[in-house]
Amino acid sequence: MMNRTDVFNKVQEDFREVLEDEELIIIEDYNSEDIDDWDSLTHIMLVVEIEKTFNMRFLSSEISNWKDIGAMITAIESK
Amino acid sequence: MISNFKLGDLFQQEFIVSEEIVNKFIGVSKDKNPLHVNDDFAKEKGFKSRVIQGNLQNCFISYFIGECLPSKHVMILSQTIKYKNPVFLNDTLSLNVKISGIFSSVGVIEFNYNFKNHLGQIISNGKINIKSIL
Repeated sequence: MMNRTDVFNKVQEDFREVLEDEELIIIEDYNSEDIDDWDSLTHIMLVVEIEKTFNMRFLSSEISNWKDIGAMITAIESK
Repeated sequence: MISNFKLGDLFQQEFIVSEEIVNKFIGVSKDKNPLHVNDDFAKEKGFKSRVIQGNLQNCFISYFIGECLPSKHVMILSQTIKYKNPVFLNDTLSLNVKISGIFSSVGVIEFNYNFKNHLGQIISNGKINIKSIL
């Protein structure tokens, strides 16, 4: 069972992979306005990468509730 | 649109690397590197004849995604290609594609693919992600 820190670290790796920035540091309060290159298209690829990493699938309605990275991590933990 | 696709679905499409196609590609890309247009130069580099530009395979992928799938309501999000063997004039290439992931939440389908030549050698492989635009 992964704790929130484990989930956070894996999500950070997914962000680094999709945004092609090995140095990227994410914060739970961050949303797309806080990270360069996190646009509508990279958001789609982020969701794909996260679903692959955690071997889970979300509904589009669940994703639309993700107001920031913290909400993303909470959604993963609750699956 | 996503319902038209299932995990593991297989697709195959053949392409002939004819002189006409290669010349059209050179016309668009302007890539006249001697490796691609000069047999003697290519032989000096250890190839049997001129090597066809690898990116011509991306044109074939474009055709496959745009014209050969069960739905036309798609666009390419990302695409990778790793070259394994050279392509020569008049080779017949088969594009072999398998659906490796379906991500309904964001309308994305992921494909693994390879190109093989008529000898069965893998020419290239990679991944393609497409998005439903319905």
